[in-house]
Amino acid sequence: MLHEKAHETHETAGANEPLHTRFADPLPRIPLVWGPATFATLDDQIAGVTERPQPGWWWPALLVTSAVLVGGVIAATYLISTGVGVWGSNNPVNWAFDITNFVFWIGIGHAGTLISAILFLFRQKWRTSINRFSEAMTIFAVICAGVYPGIHVGRFWYAWFMFPLPNANHIWPNFRSALLWDLFAVSTYFTISLIFWYVGLIPDLATLRDRAKSRARQRIFGFLALGWRGSTRHWRHYEVAYLMLAGLSTPLVLSVHSVVSFDFATSVIPGWHTTIFPPYFVAGAIFGGFAMVLQCMIPARAVYKLENLVTIKHIDVMCKFILATGTLVGYAYCMELFVAWYSGNPNEWQTFQDRAFGGDYTWAYWTMMTCNLFVPQVFWVRWCRQTPWFVLIVVTFVNVGMWYERFVIIVQSLHHDFLPGSWGRFYPTWVDWLQMVGDFGLFFTLTLVFLRYLPMIAIAEVKGVLGMANPYHTPVPDAEYLKANGRYPTQDHERAAAFGPPSNAPRAVPASPEPVPAFIASPGGTGKPWGVVAEFANPHDLLVAVRRARDAGYQQIDAWTPYPVHGMITAIGRYRSRLPLFTLAGGLTGLAAAATMQFYLSAYYYPIIVGGKEYRSWEAFVPIFFEMTVLFAGFFTLFSLIGLCGLPKLFHPVDNHPTFKRSSLGGFLLTVEATDPKFDPDGTRAFLEELGGKHVAVVEG
Amino acid sequence: MAAIFPRTIDAQLRQAAVGVVVGVGLVVVGWYYYALPSYTRVGYQPEQPVAFSHEQHVGQLGLDCTYCHQHVFDSPHATVPAAQTCMNCHNPKKANVKGASPLLAPVRAGFDTGQPVGWKRVHKLPEYAYFNHAVHVNKGVSCVSCHGQVNEMKVVAHDQPLSMGWCLKCHNDPGKSLRPATEVTNLTWAPDAGQTREEVGKAIQKDLQVNPPMNCQSCHR
Repeated sequence: MLHEKAHETHETAGANEPLHTRFADPLPRIPLVWGPATFATLDDQIAGVTERPQPGWWWPALLVTSAVLVGGVIAATYLISTGVGVWGSNNPVNWAFDITNFVFWIGIGHAGTLISAILFLFRQKWRTSINRFSEAMTIFAVICAGVYPGIHVGRFWYAWFMFPLPNANHIWPNFRSALLWDLFAVSTYFTISLIFWYVGLIPDLATLRDRAKSRARQRIFGFLALGWRGSTRHWRHYEVAYLMLAGLSTPLVLSVHSVVSFDFATSVIPGWHTTIFPPYFVAGAIFGGFAMVLQCMIPARAVYKLENLVTIKHIDVMCKFILATGTLVGYAYCMELFVAWYSGNPNEWQTFQDRAFGGDYTWAYWTMMTCNLFVPQVFWVRWCRQTPWFVLIVVTFVNVGMWYERFVIIVQSLHHDFLPGSWGRFYPTWVDWLQMVGDFGLFFTLTLVFLRYLPMIAIAEVKGVLGMANPYHTPVPDAEYLKANGRYPTQDHERAAAFGPPSNAPRAVPASPEPVPAFIASPGGTGKPWGVVAEFANPHDLLVAVRRARDAGYQQIDAWTPYPVHGMITAIGRYRSRLPLFTLAGGLTGLAAAATMQFYLSAYYYPIIVGGKEYRSWEAFVPIFFEMTVLFAGFFTLFSLIGLCGLPKLFHPVDNHPTFKRSSLGGFLLTVEATDPKFDPDGTRAFLEELGGKHVAVVEG
Repeated sequence: MAAIFPRTIDAQLRQAAVGVVVGVGLVVVGWYYYALPSYTRVGYQPEQPVAFSHEQHVGQLGLDCTYCHQHVFDSPHATVPAAQTCMNCHNPKKANVKGASPLLAPVRAGFDTGQPVGWKRVHKLPEYAYFNHAVHVNKGVSCVSCHGQVNEMKVVAHDQPLSMGWCLKCHNDPGKSLRPATEVTNLTWAPDAGQTREEVGKAIQKDLQVNPPMNCQSCHR
């Protein structure tokens, strides 16, 4: 086939001539993982955190955060049982701490998907060390944000009114309201982030399952991993599914805070009614999100000794993001002020005069300016970016500043609108404070639980960025490590070299914990062989063996690896996955559903005039078109991934092979199935042994 | 190393997944059948203190609805008749129709003491929904549209859901349900031969300029 031919040509070119000689780097490239690290040490380092007893501070910390969380629950219970009047929100400031905290948390939730999706599309491989943590943080932050829309309506049991569910009242949400767009945007964002996070977790859950000693852990992680074993036939769908989800999340992450900003921008309140809001909010969200990632990651990396994975270089790059987005946000602050004056709109100008010079909330405005615009400017200096304790202080300022930004926008704008007769201030009550602090308790409780039970770094992805993960990797001599012309070109090279040179790929297969018989019986099996299993030492040996087996005429070959090995998909005789067709189908289904729902309900079922527009005017339907397209595409991607891989497959005949579980740890396995026309139990076993395979055995089907 | 899960687990999981999907589907379908007013309200048929039969009084004797519910054309409320209305016929000292019947004891007691007979309310709208009988019947909405064939009911039962969606169906398209205002209390009315209910209704809608409100505050005032 032509398709196959093209791949082979590409592969052979790469195999004959090492890539690094064809596209030589001008400087030695700093590795992403510093110091010696093998697949096994990565497992120990990352998965070990969830297996060993937690450090002594963990329980007291959990006690504190959950006590604070209980405070939030008490505040929410009091609010629900008594009424929203227990908050200080009142005319004219009807939105105050509730929406401030909602927008604050939604903003925090932006870094995760930005890191995992946008940086993925830009092939920024340094993201692998921080993406899991920040995705988890995204999910927790969106949960914290979701608390407020849930309870701020008072009668939270009517929260289902926000969703377009058929009901006996025959009333539907107003699809032309920015608040409804917000509901769709936030719930889509939460769902897609959760899917993205879970899909990323699957290989690591398999690693946890295969490392587990206790029966309970084996079963729990066994269920959660859906029977993932690192089959290359699965990886080919997996990699494409991940790419699709990244592609879906990228516009989604930009849309969410744009839509949140529409809550304000589509109103007529001076200080809110501004077209600059969407980009300004998105920049602010990324800014605040990165700050929160660093706020949690710097202590975690120190406590769990992850400095070789989340290196100083990672912190450095994230600080550059903070500097860039902080300056963008600062530019937006100045532009808002300038346009308020330049527009000649007296209402707008008086609001901004009150905001910036001598009003009731000027202190909050300048707190925001200091924390968000001025303080992060220190990141122009390398020392400030590369000193973790200092970065921690700066990002604390940023988090405070981002909270004040939302406070200023919401409270200050509301307290001084058109009519001087209705001006008034906002006074938070103890319930406001307790609810806000309780939300932080919720966030940090979830974070602590996450650190305890799930791998905080994407193990499989980090394995894939090790030098030895590349089958064509040529090890660099120790003496020359990271040096060019006998010296370190930059301080960063020197810092990385101080951790020591990276490990080289293992040359030999580790011994099996128990003897491997030639035929492995499986309880309750068919009596016939399922196929032959062979283990290899490293990705290069496996790739060579797979190609030889193909050359020898075998067709039903599969390679089982802890991470997707480059070139393995074509080597086992498969092509790029067709999964994107399902994603496309999902997107079209979502779009069609959104169009049908909105047009039918708004123009025919219950026609009602909103904003003086025609019943069927479509412009205001666009945000929900987009959100539902992404939502359905995400679901189709997840389910087609599971379906195409034939998951869940908790039992597989190969499970009885003594070393097969290494396929999710650091082993590289090859199987030839009995369905292969050339298969012959003894002949194939001998052939694989001849190829250098170890622990070769026929497995009963 | 032995496998973590038994060989049968995947088939069991798939069966369980099908079970969950079917179960959730049944819950949803059940909810939409059992939890809506079309099920919870329709068919409500309390036992009244007096076994008053609309079937006998209206269906057989031909009393007009307004004989008892006398303010329906000029008041928001159709009004439940006082014991006095019953006593026009059942008073033992006057017409003496079944004047000694023990079934009518509560009516006589109500008439004598002035305490109302404890009729149980069948049709009840929420307090936050404003409904005006007069405007509906004067514009040609028949009693039968909301209360069903009362002339055939021995014991009155809740005939229609009276949910908001049910109201809106007619408000959105009233033409089908209108009839001449003079025929509103004629529960057996049918259009003249050669005409459909819809044609008659549309003509009346045009004639009486029936334009029912669809906004929230028309009912939630």
